[in-house]
Amino acid sequence: MKKNILICICMMLSISLFAQEAKDRHLAKLPAVDIQDINGNVFNTKDIRNDGKPVIVSLWATWCKPCIAELLAIADEYEDWVEETGVKLYAISIDDAKTSARVAPFVKGKNWEYTVLLDVNSDFKRAMNVNDVPFMCILNGDGEIVWQHTSYAPGSEAEVYEIIKSLVKK
Amino acid sequence: MVLKSIKRVFLAFTLLSGCLLAQAQHQIGNGRISGDFGFDGMYYIPDSVIGAEKVDSKVRGNAFLNLLYSNGGFSAGARYEFYMFPLIDFEKIGYQGQGIKYFFADYKNSFIQVTAGNYYEQFGNGLTLRAYEDRQLGIDNSLLGARVKVTPYKGIYLKGVWGIERRNFDSYIGRKDFVRGADLELSFGEMFPVVQEKGFIARVGGSFVSKYQPATAPIDFVIYPGTDTAAFAQIPTDKIPMNVANWAARMTFGYKDFRLDGEYARKINDPNISNGFIFKPGEALFLSATYARKGFGIAASFIRADNMEFRSQRYENSNSLLMINNIPAINRQYSYQLIGNYSYASQPNNQIGAQLQINYQIPKKTALGGKYGTDITFNYSRFHDIDKQPVEQAVDFGTMSGTYGYTSSFFKFGPNLLYQDIGLEISHRFNNKKWKWILAYNYITYNLEILQGHAGMMRGHLVASDLSYKITPKHALRLELQNLYTKDDDGSSAYTMLEYSFSPSWFVSISNEWNYGNPIKSHRTSYYNIACAYVWNTTRIALNFGKTKEGILCVGGVCRAVPASFGAGLSVTTSF
Repeated sequence: MKKNILICICMMLSISLFAQEAKDRHLAKLPAVDIQDINGNVFNTKDIRNDGKPVIVSLWATWCKPCIAELLAIADEYEDWVEETGVKLYAISIDDAKTSARVAPFVKGKNWEYTVLLDVNSDFKRAMNVNDVPFMCILNGDGEIVWQHTSYAPGSEAEVYEIIKSLVKK
Repeated sequence: MVLKSIKRVFLAFTLLSGCLLAQAQHQIGNGRISGDFGFDGMYYIPDSVIGAEKVDSKVRGNAFLNLLYSNGGFSAGARYEFYMFPLIDFEKIGYQGQGIKYFFADYKNSFIQVTAGNYYEQFGNGLTLRAYEDRQLGIDNSLLGARVKVTPYKGIYLKGVWGIERRNFDSYIGRKDFVRGADLELSFGEMFPVVQEKGFIARVGGSFVSKYQPATAPIDFVIYPGTDTAAFAQIPTDKIPMNVANWAARMTFGYKDFRLDGEYARKINDPNISNGFIFKPGEALFLSATYARKGFGIAASFIRADNMEFRSQRYENSNSLLMINNIPAINRQYSYQLIGNYSYASQPNNQIGAQLQINYQIPKKTALGGKYGTDITFNYSRFHDIDKQPVEQAVDFGTMSGTYGYTSSFFKFGPNLLYQDIGLEISHRFNNKKWKWILAYNYITYNLEILQGHAGMMRGHLVASDLSYKITPKHALRLELQNLYTKDDDGSSAYTMLEYSFSPSWFVSISNEWNYGNPIKSHRTSYYNIACAYVWNTTRIALNFGKTKEGILCVGGVCRAVPASFGAGLSVTTSF
């Protein structure tokens, strides 16, 4: 039986890896999912765009410390990033009914300039196949996903900015 | 044996076809396959001191694979779950088995969305319906059936659902209970743009959810339990409500930086095991007011829930199984290790409480704000049970009777404090942002008897310090120190954690929780943990070894719930 478990898990993993290989060959776009803007109005994620300039999409939550650390680190540089590359960051909170009402005061309290969206039913999180937050992806000017990353280590915002800069140069 | 082989072949077939599909995605035209995979495994070592029991299978693990196909407005997906030898905490809640218990096909355009199969859905704040998934907690109450969402006009949203609720790995075959419901939302800001232009938000909504479960036998129960008139009673089969309705009305009003949300729900005729088979209507009220401007935010909320546990089956009472709605716990959630065990759990049948949170940023370049500003968060929350006055108001069924059980004064707080939290958190950065320091203090009162089932109250002071230092742009150290001072429950504890990260891929941490104040001297033990994680794009592999008390653990930039255990663990997650 143990052997079966091993086989089973290996197969599941191999599918994941195969698919990852294949994915690189043509770039995906964001799924179109109805979530909410900060005022609770319906917002479709296909409308995440930035006039041909790059976009950062971050999935976070008010209870997730590393998520906040990451958004805080970017907030320090955000003004410069926008000035130099025109990038736009969408911070999509996966807070559910328990805490979603606190997202707006939280963001304003932190003085973040991001476009904040609410994914209260985790529909977007599921459509993006995200396991855990923080999760971040970068879209090029055509809205194609060029980079995805899970978790946050201090300093990784530098890598994010390098990618953004390379997208603008092209 | 034959069944086993069939299962195995089916399994292999499913996985292989998924594999082929994934590879063949070029040939599917505009279609795209994506998905994610997760594995959480552990090798268990018994440890009598911390209460880690000897388990019959030492190597255990949970695994799942999600596959999602999408092409324009069409999408379809399935999840294969393998929980044959699940982690012990999942086994304890009965989350054991394997198979495809989640699959769906969905079509969507700007007017209509139709879903067949399993789906997750929420009406309003979830007081009437919340079908959702929380993998860490082993909650998956998706509905199997159909869902239609229609947008006939901008700002008008209509939803209809019908489905059978998932119960772990149990078969749906033979189930006679189901849930149906509808929800309407009118968003005036979207209907009339002028509303939004003037800075107003105005929305109203209403939902109606009904569950059906046939009655096949009379219900025998104790009427007026705990009183002098306690007696055996019976609800005859033909008097058992087979349809139970739960409706709610909600509104949101906002002007500029101010916002008010409210929802009221009412449930009728739901005698079930959790409420002692009473006929009293259930009620819930949720209010939330927020005000936010640059550098300042305040949020206050209130909740009252009376007899609002709403499940698909009237005898179900374990964990969150077959729960149709969700009464939110509005308290602030913390990820501090030492108070993980004292997180408030929402009491859908019996709670009244309020929460206040204030965020303030002391401006940059001031004496207290320093170069980068100082963030201050203050939090207060308090929850009680509701006021209850027993009544012997009978519902007469001829010779037999049911009861309304009690009456309750709506806004009156009951005699028992369930939870209180007073908290202050200060976050500051200095020396060219190389240093970041979060200092937190919390005073927590937690009703062990009602929330955990063992006697007493826990009153404790938590002091926590979280200091991060960026050595170079890519290398960082984080030191977390916590002390919980309490004379109650397991007594005082201290926690130390040192994490080293090498951006963007490597994390290493060592931590120790020392329960130095445990009233039982032999339990004054240490829970050490060594962890290491590697992240590559969307793939994360983590190894850990050590002892863990139940709580929340944050390593490698990700937080997850962790059970009491001793051993070595491996966790792999990836998405594609």
